[in-house]
Amino acid sequence: MSATSSTAPPDTCDVLVYGSGLVESIAAAALAWQGTNVLHLDDNPYYGGLWASLNLEELKTWTDKINNPTANDTPFSNAYLYISRNLDPRKYAIDISPHVLFTRSDLLNLLIQSRVSRYLEFKPLGSFHTFEQDSFEKVPGSKEDIFTSQNLTLLTKRSLMRFMKFVVIWDETPDVWLEYKGKPISSFLKDKFSLDQPQIVELVHSIALLPSLSSPTELALDRIKRYLTSMQVYGNFPAMYSMYGSGGEIAQGFCRSAAVAGAVYRLGTKLSRFDDESGVAVLENGEKIKVTEKLITSHGLVPGDQEITRMVAVVEKDCKEWFAEGESAAIVVFPSDTLDGNRYAVQALVLGSGSGQVPTGQAVWYLSTQESGEQGRKDLFLALEKMEESILRESTEDFEFDVSEEDIAYLPNGMPVVSSVRLGESLRNFTPKESLKYLLKLTYTQKVTVAPQQNPSSKTIYVPAPSIDIVYDGILSQAQAVYESVTGTVEDFFDVDFEDEDDDATATGNPPDTSIRDVADMDDENLGDHQDFDEEVAGEMTI
Amino acid sequence: MAVARDSTSSTRFAQFKLVLLGLDSYMLLSLLADGRLFRLSCQTTGCTDCFAYLGESAVGKSSLVLRFVKDQFDDYRESTIGAAFLTQTIALDESTTIKFEIWDTAGQERYKSLAPMYYRNANCAVVVYDITQAASLDKAKSWVKELQRQANENIIIALAGNKLDLDAKRQVETAAAEAYARESGLLFFETSAKSGENVTELFTAIAKRLPLETASTRQRTAPKGVDLNRPNRRAPAASNNGCTC
Repeated sequence: MSATSSTAPPDTCDVLVYGSGLVESIAAAALAWQGTNVLHLDDNPYYGGLWASLNLEELKTWTDKINNPTANDTPFSNAYLYISRNLDPRKYAIDISPHVLFTRSDLLNLLIQSRVSRYLEFKPLGSFHTFEQDSFEKVPGSKEDIFTSQNLTLLTKRSLMRFMKFVVIWDETPDVWLEYKGKPISSFLKDKFSLDQPQIVELVHSIALLPSLSSPTELALDRIKRYLTSMQVYGNFPAMYSMYGSGGEIAQGFCRSAAVAGAVYRLGTKLSRFDDESGVAVLENGEKIKVTEKLITSHGLVPGDQEITRMVAVVEKDCKEWFAEGESAAIVVFPSDTLDGNRYAVQALVLGSGSGQVPTGQAVWYLSTQESGEQGRKDLFLALEKMEESILRESTEDFEFDVSEEDIAYLPNGMPVVSSVRLGESLRNFTPKESLKYLLKLTYTQKVTVAPQQNPSSKTIYVPAPSIDIVYDGILSQAQAVYESVTGTVEDFFDVDFEDEDDDATATGNPPDTSIRDVADMDDENLGDHQDFDEEVAGEMTI
Repeated sequence: MAVARDSTSSTRFAQFKLVLLGLDSYMLLSLLADGRLFRLSCQTTGCTDCFAYLGESAVGKSSLVLRFVKDQFDDYRESTIGAAFLTQTIALDESTTIKFEIWDTAGQERYKSLAPMYYRNANCAVVVYDITQAASLDKAKSWVKELQRQANENIIIALAGNKLDLDAKRQVETAAAEAYARESGLLFFETSAKSGENVTELFTAIAKRLPLETASTRQRTAPKGVDLNRPNRRAPAASNNGCTC
């Protein structure tokens, strides 16, 4: 009576996928829905591969493994791990390649279209801070922020508005930027829009999330636009993160989707050999599997020339001072040259217990820099120190704020707001009595890895390791490239007619285009006149 | 898990995640195909055409319904039951409707390769064994252990001995399974997916144990995830808790 296939293990498949990282998992799901017979293995007992989120037991094993690699098979190295006693290992999910998802991105569109988003929970990420002169300033990422900012001169506001008006349609106006295409974004912003250094720093490091002010103009413009147009798609935040972990969780969702479409899953199963000629795969236990089409693997990559230094710290503080109301996440950026001469920016993703990654009352800080080696570690430790000082200051309750009238700005609806820079400055000399308790500290290095040279007729398709970028850019096109090398086309990639639409699913697939015009419509000429400015804001903002 | 009150009819509507283990998809399909759950869901609205309801809104017509109608169970491979998960609505009493978001194991159970995602936030679980196969109870026990290790501490687990219609071929005695269930704090039923015996009772018993009241208070305070189906400032649509067929 029961299905016959559930007893005998399959000894043949069209495509064998080895590794359950994000790209392989998206490809596996797309192939399974297209009708390909997929067998999906991972040598780890958990999903996510190089993207995984690990509990503390798994994290210890992972650390040992990358410090004693059996083969040249991991992009990670140099792990130092400290874990405080008496932590419940299962209450933590440490993300080894943390990423954030902008609300306008190809991956999000695929998540919605494929219904995989239903397996996941996304939370808003609306707080982007730039560290400057020992305090954190919230990035003015919208015209409202620019209007109400007390730290910008009228001239700066006008330049910024002029730039924001341009950047949302930058790709339609190449005459403005074409000569700067591959040149540093900082020169472009300075020459063409007369922006000052602090604004350039914020735009490049905190809004575009790029590591260096000399990042190419074209890339930077694309990412600044994405930030701005991602605002207000789902609310007052440009980005989101998935609960319990980033790429590893999303990969799990795609694996489940693949399984629903018929793919078979085997974790903790090592592939010993693959004969590219005959297509025979041999598992560690001697089992043989005939692969009729392709092997898709994230193993056997070779190191490239870029690397990133990472640090994870779990602190006994909820860090809510850094989060917007109702949120549990923030990005804090230390621009280049703010930490004793750091060459590259240090990015920190701060997640509170609302992320499901740490218990209540704690937060996890994910720091990273493209600086390598000892210098990279040094930069991260300096940043950690600054964050520690800052959170202790900001979370001290018995401290009396010395705020004068000029520190307070008024929103158009009359609501007063305290300028966060002023607050930071007046707090600077405060020495906290308490210290911050670290429950976990981990540092490690992650190399960019690339596919080895191979024969075009090979049956083996290599999948690159996670990018060192904090955004998911390029993931979908990588998965599509894998798909295309199996099926010969991407036209039917996830072209599935789901007919199980229920009352919850009224989605059209893509978020509506709301904010581009909103930003572009701003008339910077009105900025000079305070009366006009008030009216305009009152007419456009909904607070 | 979500609880909402419909402002117009004062009915309570709660949604829970239910995971199915030890149950091959064939059994799940026959369990649902039988239509009893759907009949149950439609009792209050007086709907009779439940099969249409199933086809329209619960699962993929292309995959599941065709399989029912054309009786293609034999070449049925792992599981092809829609894109995400099944949803199932039960009217517990006149004012309470419970919606189960049912997760089957798809192709991830055979090699014990279930993702943490599967257990995460599951409110209840049904672990099924086959009363005509002694070994299947042992397998069910190991799934119960796995649930107790991986899932919420207060998950409600029901043990179901299926194929009650094949009583003549029984290998697992009711008393033995019942004793195990009692020791482990599980709900226990012997069911027949084929005849429908005790299927309704099983799901209703689970529904009655679910923490409706605490769910409603917790929901109000917990920060909500982003609803990807409802971009920008759109008011959430009223939850549709009635039968739409």
